Amino acid sequence: MNSSDRIAVQRYAAAYDGLSTTDEQAVRRAEDLRAAARALDAVRTYMTSPRVKTQQKKQTVRAALQQAPDTASFIELLIDAKRYALLDAVTRRVGELLDNRLGIVRAEVVSARALSAAQQKETQEALSSRYGGRVEAVFTVDPALLGGLKIRCRGELIDGSLQGRLAKLQEELTH
Amino acid sequence: MAIRPEEITNIIKEKIEHFDTSADVNEVGTVIQVGDGIARVHGLNHVKASELVDFGNGVKGMALNLEYDNVGCVLMGPDHLVHEGDTVKRTGEVISIPVGADMIGRVVDPLGNALDGKGAIKTDKVMPLDIVAPGIIDRQPVKQPLQTGIKAIDAMVPIGKGQRELIIGDRQTGKTAIAVDAIINQKNIPASERCICIYVAIGQKQSTVAQVVKTLTDFGAMGYTIVVSATASDPASLLYIAPYAGCAIGEYFMWQGKDVLIVYDDLSKHAQAYRQMSLLLRRPPGREAYPGDVFYLHSRLLERACKLSNENGGGSITALPIIETQANDVSAYIPTNVISITDGQIYLESSLFLSGIKPAINVGLSVSRVGGSAQRKTMRKVAGTLRIDLSQYQELAGFAQFGSELDKESQRQIARGKRMTELLKQNQYAPLKVGEEVLVLYAGVHGYLDGVEVSDVLEYEKQLLAFVRAKRPEVLDTLNAANELTKDVEEKIVSTLDEFKTVFKPAKQEN
Repeated sequence: MNSSDRIAVQRYAAAYDGLSTTDEQAVRRAEDLRAAARALDAVRTYMTSPRVKTQQKKQTVRAALQQAPDTASFIELLIDAKRYALLDAVTRRVGELLDNRLGIVRAEVVSARALSAAQQKETQEALSSRYGGRVEAVFTVDPALLGGLKIRCRGELIDGSLQGRLAKLQEELTH
Repeated sequence: MAIRPEEITNIIKEKIEHFDTSADVNEVGTVIQVGDGIARVHGLNHVKASELVDFGNGVKGMALNLEYDNVGCVLMGPDHLVHEGDTVKRTGEVISIPVGADMIGRVVDPLGNALDGKGAIKTDKVMPLDIVAPGIIDRQPVKQPLQTGIKAIDAMVPIGKGQRELIIGDRQTGKTAIAVDAIINQKNIPASERCICIYVAIGQKQSTVAQVVKTLTDFGAMGYTIVVSATASDPASLLYIAPYAGCAIGEYFMWQGKDVLIVYDDLSKHAQAYRQMSLLLRRPPGREAYPGDVFYLHSRLLERACKLSNENGGGSITALPIIETQANDVSAYIPTNVISITDGQIYLESSLFLSGIKPAINVGLSVSRVGGSAQRKTMRKVAGTLRIDLSQYQELAGFAQFGSELDKESQRQIARGKRMTELLKQNQYAPLKVGEEVLVLYAGVHGYLDGVEVSDVLEYEKQLLAFVRAKRPEVLDTLNAANELTKDVEEKIVSTLDEFKTVFKPAKQEN
């Protein structure tokens, strides 16, 4: 994606998010957009084919999204502006804006073995106190870490894994 | 040397004991685009301009473009090791190079890694590559001469320690040869006054760099020389930082009160590497597609050449940047920039080179704006009128081509000019000591050559030097040491030249 597309994504997402005045509306609209993007992804070939007329694509979207007229208009706008390809990126960005609105902090936590419920809760609490707000963590397992945790949150990487420490030790011993 | 395993074990144990086991917290970003030695990174929200970032896999980069939603970085290593989606870490450091006295005699890359296969280099300090040049209070005027051992330069475009003298000319006109001769000549100078030399090769062929290193080694010049090499096959980012790396190494020695001579060979390729990076980072192109800050690129580098004040130890960095012109066009963008930055230029011309005048220095266009005050008084007295005499000769010679009758005085000037032009020719790798230069030029300026055939002038010089070295070495010693051309010294020269006149044998003419 080039730089002008990235800027466009920000603007479209901000506009879509700006439609909602209350948190409930924002949650619903974000959910609508996510569902629409997922559904349209199934007919990707049709939606991106140059042989299908713009009018036809718009009709399809309108028909499929009768329950959510705002979302339908938004996607029609993207089609008109020849920016349908940015739909996925816009959806992601709308999700981020919603998180900001609700004060949710997303975190990715990787551990060598699956964490117990108590450990997960402890990790989330520790992250909440560090970053403030409600932390929604996604827990994954990667045995290559050997031990410890690797947490990615708000553009920071907290590397407390054995793998990371060994790499650091190797760096120190060889230089 | 016996290696005791337990000693090594202890060192490792100690390192492990002091190893910081706390978790690393780094600000990170994600690679969104990579290619052509450039990576665009999303995230890294607090990264600073010119900060070093770590791409993993041993590849480092420098953050150059801080944009609205991404950071443009140049990679300091191969870009095929970096992939879309890779994590990029901030380091919080600016790019720097390890330096130390052990670097002397070595060939290194712009990051300080040895390239000559002689093992790791022990260094004792880390210097940032890009610093602000010393200010006015830290400096003093250029006042000591830097002998290049080339007659034409030491006589007519003298270089002082702390000066920046541009060597400019087309390809194959002997630009590198002059710089290499100046380095080799440092061997002729007593160790206390000798410069530490740094040769920075930017964007040259590996074979050319190898040739220069071999020449320096053969002439015993590697004992006080460091070669910094970023060749044509290295990424543009390394070419870009190479002169700054050379300068940082030089500054280490300068702040110890030593004199340093740096050759940047050549800054045209440096500008091209920077242009490549800038265009790939989508910075707007300007004249000749160079970015707008290409002047600053060179001015901030050359401004770091200076003579420090005595309170700061009195060290110096003398810079000899080299610029390659296309078809003798000095009014192109980069040549005019660098000419205006430096304190003078040595202009080499291919037509002179092809007519057999080597070094092919164009006397009329070559100047030294500050070196004159640093020239030795002996040399200044001998060479004082040389430049004017030669330009008058060239004017007259052009006039005489019309075949008109010339008066006696003009004929004398032409005869003298021809011999002086011949006398200023010099072979490569044969730099002269300052005393020898003074003696030879004295002979020319004071008419001792007027009776010698033009074709015999170089033979005269050769025999004269051999004669003095064998029979009157004390004259050379006096001249090497003398700072002023006193009556006493002048008498010695005259008596030597008169004595030599009787033994000089012109070369046998063939047929």
